[in-house]
Amino acid sequence: MTIIRRNPDAPHCPPVDRDRELIHVDCASHTYPDGSVGIHDMCFHVLKNEIVAICGPNGSGKSTLIEHLNGLLLPSLGTIWVNGRTISGGEQAGLWKEVGVVFQQSDDQLFAPTVLDDVMFGPLNMGLSPDEARTRAMDALGTVGAADLIHKLPNYLSGGQKRLISVAGILAMKPMVIAMDEPTSDLDPVHAAMIERIILDLRNRLGISIVIATHDMDLAARIADRICLVRNGAVFAEGAPQEIFYDPALITDAGLKLPIIVQTYLDLCDAAGIRPASCPLTSGELVAVLQNSMRKKPD
Amino acid sequence: MIPGASGTGGNRYEGPDIGAGEDRMSSTSISPHIPDLNLITYFAETKKSVFTRMSPWTKGCLLVFVVLLVTVSRSLLLLIGLYIAVLLLYLIAGLPAGKLLAWYLLPAVFVLSLVGLLMWSEPGIPILSWTVGAFTLSLSDNGVLLVGTLLIKALITVTFSLFFLMTTRYQHFAGMISRIFPAPLDQIFLMAYRFLFLTLAMTSALFKSVRSRGGGLMHSLRMQGRLFAGVFTLIFIRSFERGERVHKAMIARGFTGSYPLSGEVPRPKIAEYGLLVVTGALVTVAVILSPYRGW
Repeated sequence: MTIIRRNPDAPHCPPVDRDRELIHVDCASHTYPDGSVGIHDMCFHVLKNEIVAICGPNGSGKSTLIEHLNGLLLPSLGTIWVNGRTISGGEQAGLWKEVGVVFQQSDDQLFAPTVLDDVMFGPLNMGLSPDEARTRAMDALGTVGAADLIHKLPNYLSGGQKRLISVAGILAMKPMVIAMDEPTSDLDPVHAAMIERIILDLRNRLGISIVIATHDMDLAARIADRICLVRNGAVFAEGAPQEIFYDPALITDAGLKLPIIVQTYLDLCDAAGIRPASCPLTSGELVAVLQNSMRKKPD
Repeated sequence: MIPGASGTGGNRYEGPDIGAGEDRMSSTSISPHIPDLNLITYFAETKKSVFTRMSPWTKGCLLVFVVLLVTVSRSLLLLIGLYIAVLLLYLIAGLPAGKLLAWYLLPAVFVLSLVGLLMWSEPGIPILSWTVGAFTLSLSDNGVLLVGTLLIKALITVTFSLFFLMTTRYQHFAGMISRIFPAPLDQIFLMAYRFLFLTLAMTSALFKSVRSRGGGLMHSLRMQGRLFAGVFTLIFIRSFERGERVHKAMIARGFTGSYPLSGEVPRPKIAEYGLLVVTGALVTVAVILSPYRGW
């Protein structure tokens, strides 16, 4: 994978693997009623079984894009295909079954009296019987490790638990794609790591494609298969994490900061006066690179 | 399965422990005289007693009987007896008496605001009287009786309502609401209840923010008015924004107007049916005879 840079004057959507493509956003634009531009000539796609990270600063259009994927918003211009279906006027009906959205504020997503009721909400809306919905809810809660919270009231959950229940509420609908808006924001390290493991588990075990909108570069570096850098409502560069994050100028251009592992490695190379020979993204990869270089220079 | 998800975090009630700190305000309580929803729910969810095992339908019917009896009864003695019985139920259930006393302020103020003027014009044996110019204000025995009767009626209703709420799990309560009220009234109630906690937390956070920067409610009338106006404007705006976000989250999961709940509400046991029949019969007799016997 190489970095694809978009020319803002001549937007285009690069060719993608149509067999693996689940979502295709083709030069979509959205202007809010107050005149502010949410996204502009946005080109974006999601493939089967991949984790895509949409990275950009606040106000860059990440959340607006996520809401388009679920049909909550419709593009003013351009088109969006989801699983071969073009999304327009009344065509977004039922899209919520295919693309689930986990919102940034879990409190906004948990409105039912108990955890079980909340997780069953989606399956019941899909027309499943209460028994089937309950089974799905229990499975989803089991997957996120929160099965014993079923009778709890949302008021008595911690922030991390609320986020887990939000994910379970979407998972219970068995969507093809789950889009998460800032999935680890405001979470303690334990729950952030838990959410990270769940995201990987959903992709690896259940084959669900995941879209995360984040400005947590460390998270994106650790788990994403592909990074899309967003600025002013459009993806202006995309590529593999190794390529994107080892291009400091690009990251600065996006108004972001390098992941801590990347920054540390580049600083070490700089201090040692050597050129980076590899592209570690996780602490494990960094340790392996350092061990390797120490073995080469035992003195 | 991701291990340990429910092992961390846990109950986030930050208010007083049962028994240990009844005199402290909970973190979301704005005033000790306003019933603290967090505390009420906390008791309902955690406290175990014979009344928590009772069917919510039984307690709901008893509440209706109490309200009926309180509405028709005019006898102060009967009302005092009923109040003692209700208070005993409350105390036997292990609910906080200190808090109840503090919460009595609002119903007391409500009653006094209703009959505070009327009690001076009730005919009867004068107890107190003042002459101001051409006007004479006199408080008669019937005036005092009126205030006492209405006050005790209010306290009975408040005490039994709190007893009902603090011994009934919210899951069951919500189930009752969704069965009793038609859509969308049930949805409005359930959503309002859930988001009342969030709004209270938001209000509390705003007041904390005010206090943390040296602000307060007692500086001056003008400042107090501006402060309240500012806080309530912010709460209104934020609540509106939250409402939009919640609606969006519901639409994202296929909400089309119905809000089904899974929770089963425990049915009354045979003994509870017996209790309801006996109580219902007594209340019916009281309702029928009260106009004739002066009850």
